[in-house]
Amino acid sequence: MSALASGPARMGSRRPRAALSLRRVLPVVLGTALLIWVLLPLVPVALWSVAGEWRAPAVLPEAWSSQALTTLVSPEVLQAGLRSAALGLGVAVTGTVLGALAAFGLRQLPRTQARILGFILLAPLAIPPFALVMGANVLLLSARVPTFAAVLIVLTVTALPYTAYMFHVALASYDWRFEEVARTLGASPTRVLLSVRMALLAPAIARAGFLAFLVGWSDYITTVLIGGGQLRTLPMLLGSAASTTGGEQLTAALSLAMIAPPVILLILLARWGQRGRSPQ
Amino acid sequence: MSRAALLAAPAVLLVVLVLGAALLTALLQSLGLLPLFGEPEFSTAAWTDGGALVESAGVSLYIATTSTLLAVVVGFLIAAYALTAGRGGRLIAALSAATIPIPHLVASGAIGLLLTDAGFLARLLGMPEGFPQLVGTDWWTAAILEFAWKESAFVALVVLGGISRSAAALSETAATLGASARQRILHVILPLARLPLGVAGLVVFVYTFGSYEAPWLLGPVAPEPLSVRAVRLFGSVDLAARPEAMATALTSVGIAVAVIGLGVLGLALLARGSRRRSPRRSQQHSQLPSSRRSGAGS
Repeated sequence: MSALASGPARMGSRRPRAALSLRRVLPVVLGTALLIWVLLPLVPVALWSVAGEWRAPAVLPEAWSSQALTTLVSPEVLQAGLRSAALGLGVAVTGTVLGALAAFGLRQLPRTQARILGFILLAPLAIPPFALVMGANVLLLSARVPTFAAVLIVLTVTALPYTAYMFHVALASYDWRFEEVARTLGASPTRVLLSVRMALLAPAIARAGFLAFLVGWSDYITTVLIGGGQLRTLPMLLGSAASTTGGEQLTAALSLAMIAPPVILLILLARWGQRGRSPQ
Repeated sequence: MSRAALLAAPAVLLVVLVLGAALLTALLQSLGLLPLFGEPEFSTAAWTDGGALVESAGVSLYIATTSTLLAVVVGFLIAAYALTAGRGGRLIAALSAATIPIPHLVASGAIGLLLTDAGFLARLLGMPEGFPQLVGTDWWTAAILEFAWKESAFVALVVLGGISRSAAALSETAATLGASARQRILHVILPLARLPLGVAGLVVFVYTFGSYEAPWLLGPVAPEPLSVRAVRLFGSVDLAARPEAMATALTSVGIAVAVIGLGVLGLALLARGSRRRSPRRSQQHSQLPSSRRSGAGS
C-alpha cells in the first residue's frame, strides 16, 4: 500500500486535496472489495457447520451445535471419505505414472510425432466431462468393468492432460548431465532412476500428483453417471445434502470435510518442498 | 516401435480408446444405431427435435460467456492489486490462490448458502425488501457468480505466474519514474497480461461451458444448459431419451471444439501482435532498469 501512496503526487505537486485522498482511498476500497470477494462465500460454510439454530433475520447463529461435525465421523461419511481418498490416490498414481512416461516418451520422439501425440493427450480438456463419461459409460458397461475401476479409468483420462503437461514443463528445464555423471560414477539404471531422476523431478511429481488427486477426490459428475448412485463418495453425499432444503448444516460440514484434506495435503507438500530446497 | 513410443503408448492409447469410444458411441446412440434394447433404427429425430437443443446451447453459451468475462475482469484486478499494492496485495493473491483446490461442488453449495432468499448475504444486509432473487433465476446469477468466484482465482494465478517477474520490475520502474498505480495497471500490467488473460479466459470458457454442478444446484429448473439437459435425459427411465441425451452431449463437444479452435487462432494472432511490438518493448525494458539503477546509485 505504501508503494501506491508514494510517488510524485506526494512529492509536492499541487493537486487538489480531493484527488489526493481519492488516490489513497481507492486502493483501500479495491483491496477490501477483493478481500470480501475471496472470503465471503466461505463464511456461511464455516458458520453453518457449527450452527444449531439459525433462523432468517439473525446474522449469526442463535445456538451453536457440534451435531453436523459429529456426523462427519459416522460410519457412512467415513466410508464415503475412504472411497473418495481411494479414488483420489488411484487417479494420482495412475495419472502421474502415465503422464510422466508419456512426457518422457514425447521428448525423445521426432517433432511432428511428438506434436500429434501431445495434441491427443490434451484432447480430453476439450471434451465436456459429462459428454466424455456418457459415451464411455456404454463401453465400460458392456465390457463389465467394475464401477470403481470404470470411474478410475475415466478420471485418469481427465487427469492426464494436467499431469503430462506438468512433466512436459519440468523436463524442459531438466539437466540430463546429472544422470550421466551418476552413470559414469557407476550407478545402476535403477539407482539413477530412483536417486537422481525421481529426486530431481520430485516437485513436478508432487504437483502432478496433487492435481490428479484433486480430480479423483472432488469428482461428482463421473461418479454419478457411471456409479449411478452405487459408489457413495463424499461428493455424492454433499450433492444430495446441497440439493435438499434444510440441509444447510450437513452441506456445510461435508464441505469442510471435502476442503480440509486437499488443503492439509497442500500444506504438507509445500513444507516438504521448502525443506528440500533449504541449504544444508 | 521405438522405446520412446512405447513410453508414451499407455497414456496415448488410454486417451484414444476412451475418447474414441465415447465419441463414437455417442454418435451412434444419437442416431438410434446403438439402442439399449431392441433393433437399431436410423433416425435423426434427436438432432432435429424442435428448438430444445438450440435453447440449451444458448443458455450454456450465455453462462460461459458472462462467467468468463467476470472471472477475467476480477482475476485481472486481483493480479494487478497483487503487483502494485505491496504486502496487502500479496496477501490477497495468496488467499485467492488458496481457494483453487476447493471443488466446484463445494463452491456451489457455499454460494447457495450465501445467496439464497434468506441466505447469509441477505441477513448481513438486514433482509432488505428489494433483495433480488439470485438462486434459481432465469439470469443464472448464482451459478455465474460461483464460476466467477472460483475461476477469477485461476485467472489471477495464471496472470501472476506468467508476468509477475517482468511486470514487477517494469511496474517498479514506472513507479520510480512517477507513474501512478492506475497508470501502472493500465499501461504496464494490462499490456503484459493480455496473452495470459486470453489463455486463461479460453480455459475458463471451455470449463464453464461443460460444467454441471453449479447450473444444476443454482440454476432454474428450465431452461436447461446442455450439461444439465444431457445428464437429465441420460438418467431418464424413458429409454427413448437416450438418443437426445447423446445429441445434446455431442452438441456441447462440437461447440467446445469450435470455441477452442477460434480461441487458439485468436491467441496466436495476439501473440504475433505482441511479438511484433516486442523489439521496442525489450529496448525499453533494457533501458528502464538501467536508468533506475543509476538513479538509485546517485
